[in-house]
Amino acid sequence: MIAGAWICLLSPLAGAVAITLAGTRISRRTAGWIATLATFVAFAGALVAFFGLRGLNPDDREQMSTAYTWLAVGNFKVDMQILLDTLSSTMMLIVSGVGGLIVWYSMGYMAGDDEERRYFAYMSLFVFSMLLLVQAGNFLLMLVGWGLVGLASYLLIGFWHQRAEAVAAAKKAFVMNAFGDATFALGLVLLVWKTGTLTFSGVFDQVGSLDSTIVNLVALGLLGGAVAKSAQIPLHTWLPDAMEGPTPVSALIHAATMVTAGVYLLVRASPIFEAAPDVQHLAAILGAVTLLVAGLVALVQWDIKRVIAYSTMSQIGYMFLAAGLGAYGYAIFHLMTHAFFKALLFMSAGLVIHHLGGEQDIRRMGGLHRAMPKTHVAFLVGTLALTGIPIFAGFWSKDGIISSALATGGSLGWTLYVAALVGAFLTGAYSFRLYFTVFRGPESDFVAAHAHEGHGEGPRSMLIPVGVLTVLATIGGLVVIPGVWEPFLTWIDETAEPLVSPTVAQDYGTSAIAVTLAVIGYYLAHRAFLAGRQLVARPEIWRVLERKFYFDELYDALFYRPAAALSVNLRTNVEEPVIKRSLDEIGSGTITVGDEVARAQTGLLRTYAVALAFAVFILVVVFVAVR
Amino acid sequence: MAGPDVGWYLIVSAILFGIGALGVMLRRSPLVVLLSLEIMLNAANLILIAFSRQQGNLDGQIFALAVMAVAAAEVAIGLGLIVAMARRRLALDVDQADALRG
Repeated sequence: MIAGAWICLLSPLAGAVAITLAGTRISRRTAGWIATLATFVAFAGALVAFFGLRGLNPDDREQMSTAYTWLAVGNFKVDMQILLDTLSSTMMLIVSGVGGLIVWYSMGYMAGDDEERRYFAYMSLFVFSMLLLVQAGNFLLMLVGWGLVGLASYLLIGFWHQRAEAVAAAKKAFVMNAFGDATFALGLVLLVWKTGTLTFSGVFDQVGSLDSTIVNLVALGLLGGAVAKSAQIPLHTWLPDAMEGPTPVSALIHAATMVTAGVYLLVRASPIFEAAPDVQHLAAILGAVTLLVAGLVALVQWDIKRVIAYSTMSQIGYMFLAAGLGAYGYAIFHLMTHAFFKALLFMSAGLVIHHLGGEQDIRRMGGLHRAMPKTHVAFLVGTLALTGIPIFAGFWSKDGIISSALATGGSLGWTLYVAALVGAFLTGAYSFRLYFTVFRGPESDFVAAHAHEGHGEGPRSMLIPVGVLTVLATIGGLVVIPGVWEPFLTWIDETAEPLVSPTVAQDYGTSAIAVTLAVIGYYLAHRAFLAGRQLVARPEIWRVLERKFYFDELYDALFYRPAAALSVNLRTNVEEPVIKRSLDEIGSGTITVGDEVARAQTGLLRTYAVALAFAVFILVVVFVAVR
Repeated sequence: MAGPDVGWYLIVSAILFGIGALGVMLRRSPLVVLLSLEIMLNAANLILIAFSRQQGNLDGQIFALAVMAVAAAEVAIGLGLIVAMARRRLALDVDQADALRG
């Protein structure tokens, strides 16, 4: 069982190393197969671990396995250890399962690219890092995985490094994530200082006896990391830009796995957050704000991937909301269903982009359901799951989150409840706007021009994973049917006991409202589409939304401009006059002195002899006369 | 103790040393420069031996023998250099060997 977990962790690493070392000795296709198989081996390991864990007594379902002591300083030591419990085994299944499908899909999507081997090595590295993040048995190891996924994300966003936008987006993502990593690390430093340990159980045992200021600071540090990694406001601006990367990367990293790491952290470190309830509520509020802002911005975007990216931010907002209210089971449940349907949406968008030769602007698309019937079904299923239409996966998880807000009650609970319901309406509106614009209506000229090339909907390696995810997005939510069958929630509850659980009546009542709102969103989108106009009619609102609420401009004015002005200032006033000129002076002074001294070196023997004799004479005078 | 006072030896030695030093500083032929160096060394030897006699201590004489050995070695190298210069048809003039001028 624990061996399965280790295999799960190390197999993608082995894949990455193998592809890197083999270099050009293997074909591109082989590299793709190595990466795919390594990820599926990891999935098999995760399955072994999962079923092994299921077979155990509930009290024993927290297996720690230590390979060796990684570092030790005095009494403080950190082990290379993995923790296998209900939460991490679930995450392992999601990461390696969805990851395997997406890596497989990449083989078709990336075929013919110049540097496929590098791509697959990065992908394997990413899967390994993500598994390290979720399997880590202590905070420091988790931080290692946390940093590594950021690195892999940076490398993959900037994979097409000949495109300036991709490089800029990669840097932006890296810097914002580095900010989160830094606050995370600072939180850990505080923990080491105050508790002397970083193992999960060790920290959670002592968290109750800590000073409340310290706990709040630690929780804030962790929240900063989570917010940056999960692209929540105010550290969200990197995610839409990250869509410059290849589409499978967007599906794997920026939808299904890495961006949900923040949610995982909130749930994993729930004892810390429960000891700092204000910070936990802050997480919920940030989630609610993000889901509204992202939902609004998604209404006006023209890039098919950016719409889905904003939708991702919005859905992670729901997860933050749930984790912030203490509905951990629902947060992880939505994480899982979201991984299914959002990966599905990205991958069907990838099929569309692939079919149209790299075009991403939805204004040039339209009527694609005739040319791409299978993709159309997949995308429609993804959209239905995203909007939370009954029986599709998103319905069960999202409504659970909204009703958790209702069950929390109080002014906070009600505010979040209303925000989440508005979010459900927005989700219906933007996702059906996207669906109609891309797939319905008459075929656009652009699509018609591409339809005659007749390369079908895509290779089999792309269609099979999409098919599997279509099934999962349809039935994947059936592991939680409120009041009837909730094995998923009880499974997660063993690791993170929820603070709030909605009653069955609250659940179905909320579902009725949420589905109605989503359908209203659908209806509005449909009507706007038929009338040939946009959902947001007023140009001034449109402009605000199109500029994404001016976050980029704000950060530009707040951070970039002052920093740039300061740098320019320092350059003209400090570097050039002080540092550069002093160096010049030192140099030219040395040369002058050297020239003078060189004149003493005549090369004539007699000069040296006279100098020597004269010096001896002086010495004699000094010793004899002066003593 | 027979012979002149040690002061006379000092005077002779100083004169010898002065001749040698002037030779090194003024002459241009490397051969003569080398000769002058030998004169300076022997001026030092003379003082060593003179004081050794005055003190009745043999250390100075032993040291003078050591100086002679060093001087012999030095002459061997110096003459070798001069022969090499001559064989390469370089001017035997120390003022023209100024390749080390800064």
